[in-house]
Amino acid sequence: MSDKFVICNSDKCLGCGICEFVCSATKERKLDPEFSRIRQVNFEPVGSMAIACLLCEEPACVAVCLRDALFKDEKGVIRIDEYKCNGCGWCIRACPFGAITLHPTKKVAMTCDLCDGDPECVKHCPFEDALEYATLEEIAHKLRKEAVDNILRVIKSGAKGSS
Amino acid sequence: MFGYMGKILRIDLTNRKIIEEPLEESVARKFIGGRGLGAHILFNELKPGIDPLGPENKLVIATGVITGIPFPGNSGLNVMAKSPLTGIWGEATSKGFFGPELKAAGYDAIIIKGKAEKPVYLWIHDGEVEIRDASHLWGKPTREVQKIIKAELKDDRAQVGCIGIGGENLVKFANIMLGFNHFAGRTGMGAVMGSKNLKAIAVRGTGKVRYANEEKLVDLLLQKLISKEALNGPYFPDGLFKYGSLADLDYWQETGRLPTKNFRKSLFSGYANLTAETLTDSSYIIRHNTCPHCTVGCNRVTKANTPYQLNPEYALPEYESTAALSTLCMNDNLVAALKAIELCNKYGIDTMSTGVTIAFAMECYEKGLIMKKDTEGLDLTWGNHEAIVQLVEQIAKRQGIGNLLAEGSRKVAEKLGGGTEDFAMHVKGMEFPLHDVRGMKGHGLGIATSNRGACHLQVETDDMFEGQLAPDIGIDEKTFPKEHRDRLYAGPEKVKIVKIIGDLFAMFDSLVICKWTTYPCGGYKTQTLADVVAVATGWNFTIDELMKTGERIINLCRAFNVREGITRKDDKLPKRFSEPLPEGPYKGEAFSEDVFEGMLTQLYKLRGWDEKTGVPTRKKLEELELRYVADDLETLGKLPSEKRKK
Repeated sequence: MSDKFVICNSDKCLGCGICEFVCSATKERKLDPEFSRIRQVNFEPVGSMAIACLLCEEPACVAVCLRDALFKDEKGVIRIDEYKCNGCGWCIRACPFGAITLHPTKKVAMTCDLCDGDPECVKHCPFEDALEYATLEEIAHKLRKEAVDNILRVIKSGAKGSS
Repeated sequence: MFGYMGKILRIDLTNRKIIEEPLEESVARKFIGGRGLGAHILFNELKPGIDPLGPENKLVIATGVITGIPFPGNSGLNVMAKSPLTGIWGEATSKGFFGPELKAAGYDAIIIKGKAEKPVYLWIHDGEVEIRDASHLWGKPTREVQKIIKAELKDDRAQVGCIGIGGENLVKFANIMLGFNHFAGRTGMGAVMGSKNLKAIAVRGTGKVRYANEEKLVDLLLQKLISKEALNGPYFPDGLFKYGSLADLDYWQETGRLPTKNFRKSLFSGYANLTAETLTDSSYIIRHNTCPHCTVGCNRVTKANTPYQLNPEYALPEYESTAALSTLCMNDNLVAALKAIELCNKYGIDTMSTGVTIAFAMECYEKGLIMKKDTEGLDLTWGNHEAIVQLVEQIAKRQGIGNLLAEGSRKVAEKLGGGTEDFAMHVKGMEFPLHDVRGMKGHGLGIATSNRGACHLQVETDDMFEGQLAPDIGIDEKTFPKEHRDRLYAGPEKVKIVKIIGDLFAMFDSLVICKWTTYPCGGYKTQTLADVVAVATGWNFTIDELMKTGERIINLCRAFNVREGITRKDDKLPKRFSEPLPEGPYKGEAFSEDVFEGMLTQLYKLRGWDEKTGVPTRKKLEELELRYVADDLETLGKLPSEKRKK
């Protein structure tokens, strides 16, 4: 079974950026989104999405680190050894999602640690289902349910129409 | 100085001069930002009587002290100048992504004067300012301008404020589009930009505001401002998110105050096609939209194919726009109203003034004061949505009858004569909001005395306090007992609320914060906002100072208007409101001149203004630390004499 991580549904996300604030506030007691582990992208007018670490099976960020400063812990979270990291930024360039960034003052890599299994951003997200803390299997199950629900609705309304 | 960037940018487009100057802490504390700062600048720097569309007019874009602190509603800025629509104090507030970005770019405010030789746009990024050529952007619709500029600057995170052809053509109620779905809508600020040959302003920055106590601010936000309990009033959290402000349309219909047929009726038979529920259940909404850090999400983006093709980049409905272009003109076709909104946004003209002016034209047409030959065959019969959509085009392009309508209802009435002034729905030249004030007397007084003309966002009193009171700003059981909490009540207690809320809202437009999230009933507690200012700035900032500053700003804007010739006779409602409502729960109700004048005298008394002229007295101005304003009015011979006291 895969691990849980923070997932954003782009059709529910409105791009408000509360998640960025909550992350920087709880992790660093700062108001500055550059201290956030989850980052917001807005594509006007059609979409917005927040991106945090996806907990890849074979994370490129870990693979490219020349100083072995990054590793994956038993829960799948990418951990950074701040003594080993020299802020070279290879990991940032390797991550295809922009989900790992440089800490603005410590100048070492930082990424989502899932708040020990209770992510603050998910708790505070104002829009229903925009942010979820789930496994890929749970997400897939939800999508299947939605698909089946849609199909059933079509069948039902068709039946009604013919009666 | 904490909470501010501490810098103001001055641009003279005539000789391409760019100056940076400090924002003095004494000025900041006295006027806060937004409307207050703009009023301070424009009162000091504009001579009375200047041409609003001349190079000597100044456009001030000002953020507030808490603009950009990440909590709901808090992303505002104010755009101000002498208004070409009203000839007095002009101001338009907007929320969205532009304000915080302007601050990040390094400035609390921008002051623009002069006139560029040819079309230009400004590129303000991290303390650098460029005046760039905009010849290729002239004539282009708003969204396209934003796209081209972002591509040109190679920065998709730049925020672009721009005008459309409405502003270029000096339509008197042209607006400014700021970022994706936000507008500095009213009083024709877009025309001021157009008159300066200024097509757009792009801002982008990585600057950070320094706060007096950032950790305390973080705690305050987490505990009181973004928690799910923070916004628990009647509108939150579901109402506004689910239905948007269009829910008002249902509310006004249910309570018999839905402006219909140019305020001749207060119920609309076709309303079922237009309700928030209809829109929400329709397939038109493709997504909701929000301001930065806002948990409300009241905006929506729409799309449709018939009877009009809607472009979601512009079709952004909300209550005032939708009602102005539907019920007020007896149009029951929702998609047509959305189409008209789309065109207003595309061309950059104010949806409210556009709708109200069109409704006025339709009534003139019915009464034979505008004839088919004047409209070049366009049939302005009530409810003809094709004509409404066509008129929006014509106004923006100043074609045909649109050229006249682009001057605003007051000017149209002056031109047509024949008693049309009686049903031209404006106050001081600005078109009425979509609120029938016969059924809410306090609101009517607020609109009639608002400094920018008929504006519903300067005071709201009647329905608001039916459920909850706001003891922290002096609205409690004692000052506002239950028997007076009637919408039709017009006594001194109601007038007192008009003053209190006027002061409070003047402050909201200076902080600059959205009124949805700060309504004293249901929104943030005023104390919480005072705390935010205190923690951000390090000032010992209390509710008393907040209210007094609001009062100071109201008086300063009033003094600005007095210099331009405003007196008691201008604080009035359109004649139509003295006609009784023909139907619904408030059938027979009128807003008689006697009742109105009585309320007005009481308000002047409370405000410390001369009862005869409506001009602030020296005593009041000095009490508000505005001695220089009193001196200025005295020099001009406008200050009321104090003789009567002896």
